[in-house]
Amino acid sequence: MSDVFAALSAAITMTGTGIATAWAEKVVGGATVGAMAEKPELFVRGLVLMVIPETIILFGVLIAFLLLNHVG
Amino acid sequence: MFRPERMARAVIAGPRDKLPSVIETLHEMKLIHIIDHHGEDETFRIGKPLPPAAELAESLVKLRSVGSILAVKVPPGERATVQLDEVREKIQSLELNITEEDAARKKAESLVGELERRIEELRPFASLGLPLETYRGYESLAVLVGRIQREPELPPGLPSEAFQAPGIIAVFVPKTESERALAALSRAGFTQLDIPAGEGEPQSLLDSATADREKWKGRLKEIQGRLDKLRERFAGFVVSAEEALEVEVEKAEAPLRFAVSEHSFVVDGWVPAVQFRGLQKRLSEMRIYAEAAEAGEYHQSEDPPVLLNNPPPARPFEMLIHLYSTPSYHELDPTLFILVAFPFFFGFMIGDAGYGGVFLTFGLLAFWKLPRESDFRKLLLIIALGGFWALVFGLLVFGEAFGMAFHLPPGMPAEELSWNQFGIQYPLQPLIHKTLSLGEMFYLSILFGTIHLGTSYAFGFANELRHSKKHALAKIGWFMCLFGIFTILTGTLAWTRVGGWVWNTALGWFPRIPEPFGLGNVLHIGIPLVSLVLIFGAFLGLVESPVAPLEIGGLLANLLSYLRLAGIGIAKATIAGTFNSLIFHSFIIEHDVLIAVVGFVLLFFAQVLVFLLGGVSAGIQAIRLNYVESFTKFYKGNGTMFRPFGTKKPQEA
Repeated sequence: MSDVFAALSAAITMTGTGIATAWAEKVVGGATVGAMAEKPELFVRGLVLMVIPETIILFGVLIAFLLLNHVG
Repeated sequence: MFRPERMARAVIAGPRDKLPSVIETLHEMKLIHIIDHHGEDETFRIGKPLPPAAELAESLVKLRSVGSILAVKVPPGERATVQLDEVREKIQSLELNITEEDAARKKAESLVGELERRIEELRPFASLGLPLETYRGYESLAVLVGRIQREPELPPGLPSEAFQAPGIIAVFVPKTESERALAALSRAGFTQLDIPAGEGEPQSLLDSATADREKWKGRLKEIQGRLDKLRERFAGFVVSAEEALEVEVEKAEAPLRFAVSEHSFVVDGWVPAVQFRGLQKRLSEMRIYAEAAEAGEYHQSEDPPVLLNNPPPARPFEMLIHLYSTPSYHELDPTLFILVAFPFFFGFMIGDAGYGGVFLTFGLLAFWKLPRESDFRKLLLIIALGGFWALVFGLLVFGEAFGMAFHLPPGMPAEELSWNQFGIQYPLQPLIHKTLSLGEMFYLSILFGTIHLGTSYAFGFANELRHSKKHALAKIGWFMCLFGIFTILTGTLAWTRVGGWVWNTALGWFPRIPEPFGLGNVLHIGIPLVSLVLIFGAFLGLVESPVAPLEIGGLLANLLSYLRLAGIGIAKATIAGTFNSLIFHSFIIEHDVLIAVVGFVLLFFAQVLVFLLGGVSAGIQAIRLNYVESFTKFYKGNGTMFRPFGTKKPQEA
C-alpha cells in the first residue's frame, strides 16, 4: 500500500510543481514580452527572470525521485 | 586574457585650424574612444560642426527618404563606388524622379481604395436592380435597405412594398409605419445599408467602377514596375552613398564632442595603452600635442571603456558576455570561464554523438561560409563547441547516437532499440545509461555544479581582493559553505559509482566524524561534523551583509538547480528513444517498403524535432546556469564598450 501512496505522491509532486512553474513563467513571460516591446535590450534580463521559476519543477523532480526510491 | 585591454586617458590639443585634418587622422586610425565635452568651461566651449555638416546632413536625410520610398532593405551584392562631390547632385536628381513616381503611386493607391469602397457599396444594390434615384426623394415614404440573415416576416396589414435579392432587402413603407417594419426586419437579422451617391442603374455604375479600378490597378502596377527598376538600378548607390555620407557627417559633427576655444581645440578620450605611442607619433608629425596616462588599477572613480582581450577562438563567446552586460574595467573578464562552462553543460545535456555531430557540422559550415562579423556565425560556433562536447559525451560516456544506444544495457524493455541490432558494432560500452542510472546523472550534475560555483567564488575572490578585503573574505566563507554542502551531498550519494569514487578516493582525506547534534537523524542522512562547520563558514558573509547567513538556503537551491543538467539530458534521451522505438516498430521493422518509406520520413521529422527542441532547451538552460547561478556570485558588469571614433559598431581597435 505504501508503494501506491509513494507513487501517487510522486505524481502529485510532479503535477503540482509543473503547474506552479508554468504559472510563474506565464506571469514573468507575459511581463517580459510587454517590457521587451518597449525596450528590446531587456531580452537577456527577461530571459534570466523567465527561467528562474524552472527551479521549482527541478525540486519536484528531486522529491519525486526520492519518493520513487520507496516504491519496491 | 582575464583582464580587458589596458586603457590610457589621452588628451590631444592643437590649433583650431588643424581640426579638420586631426579629425581625419583620428577617424582613420580608429583608436580613440572620445569623452564628450559638456561645455562647462568659460574658455573651452563645445565646438561647432565643420562647414559642410549642414549640407551633408541634408543630403543624408534626402537619401534616407529615397531609400525608404524604394524600400531598399538589405545591402545589395554589388556596391557602387561613390564620389562624394557628385553625391549631392545625384541624390537631387534621383529624389526628383522618385518623388514624382511616389506621388503618382500614392494617388493611384488612394483611387484604387476609393473605387473598392464604391464597388462594395454598389454590389448589394446591383442585385436588387432598382435605379439609385428610386431610393430617395420621398416625403411620406421611408426606405429601409439592408442585409438580412433570414427570410423576414412583415406584420400582416403593414402597407409596404418589398424588393428582395439573396441576403438583401429593400422595403418601402409609410414613414409612420417605419418603426414597426424595422422591428420586424430586425428579427431577421437586418443591418441597414447607406444608399450610394449617384443616379442610374446600379449594375452599370458597378461595371464602370470595376473597369476604373482595373485601369488604376494596371497603372499602379506600371508605377511599381518603374520603382522596382529604379531600385534595382540605384540600390547599390543608395546603400553605399548612405554609408559614405554617415561617415562624413560623423566627421563633420565631431567638433560637437570636443572642447574648442577661440584658437585651439582639445580632444579627451581613451586609447588602448599599447597603441598610444603610435597615435602620438602620427599626431606629432602634424605638430599636434598628445599626452596620456594609464588608467589606475584601483581607481573605481575612473571608468574606462572596455575592450575585451581574448585569443581569437574565444572571441565568439564575448557575445554571450556582452549580452548579459559588458564587464567593468576593474573586474575579471569571464569570457574564458563561459568558454569552458557553456559548451560543457550544453554537451552534457545533449550527450548524444549523433546530434553532437550535427551541431559540430553546422558550426564548421558557419565557420567557412558565413561572414566573420555575423552574430549568427558566432552563435553557431558557440553551439558547435557544445556539439563537440555532446559528441565526446555521446561516444565515451553515454554510448548513444540519435537517441539510440550503441549497446542495449541489461534490464531494458524488449521494445528498446540499439545500434548493434542494426549491425553497427561500437567497440566501447557506455559508462552511464541516462535513463537507467538516474543517481549517477544527478550526482554528476551536482559535481559539475559545485565545480562551476566554486570557480565562480574563486573569480569573486580575485575581483574583491583588489577592492575590499572584507568582501574577499566573504567569498572564502561562501566557498567553504559550498564545499560543506557538497560533502554532505556526496556522502549521501556515495552509493553511485561516481559519488562513491569522489567520496572514498578524491575526498578520502575528508574527516567523517558524524556531528553530535542529531541533525543527521532528523534528515535521515549522515552529516559529518566538519561539513557542518564548513557550512557555518557562510557566517563570514556577515562582514558583507547582516542577512548573509540566510542565503545558505539560496546556495543549496543554486546547487540543486544544476539538476537541470540531468533533467534535460534524460528528458531529451527519453523523447528521442520513444520516437525511435514507436516509429521503427509501427512503420519500419517487418513492414512493407511503402510503409517503411513513410516511416523513414516520419523518423526524419521526429529527429529534427528532438534536435531542435534539445538544442533550444539545452542552450537556454546552459546559458541560464551561467547567468543566474554563477554570474551572480562574482560578476558585476555595467562597463562601457570601447567604441573608437571612426567605427559605427563597437569593435576592436
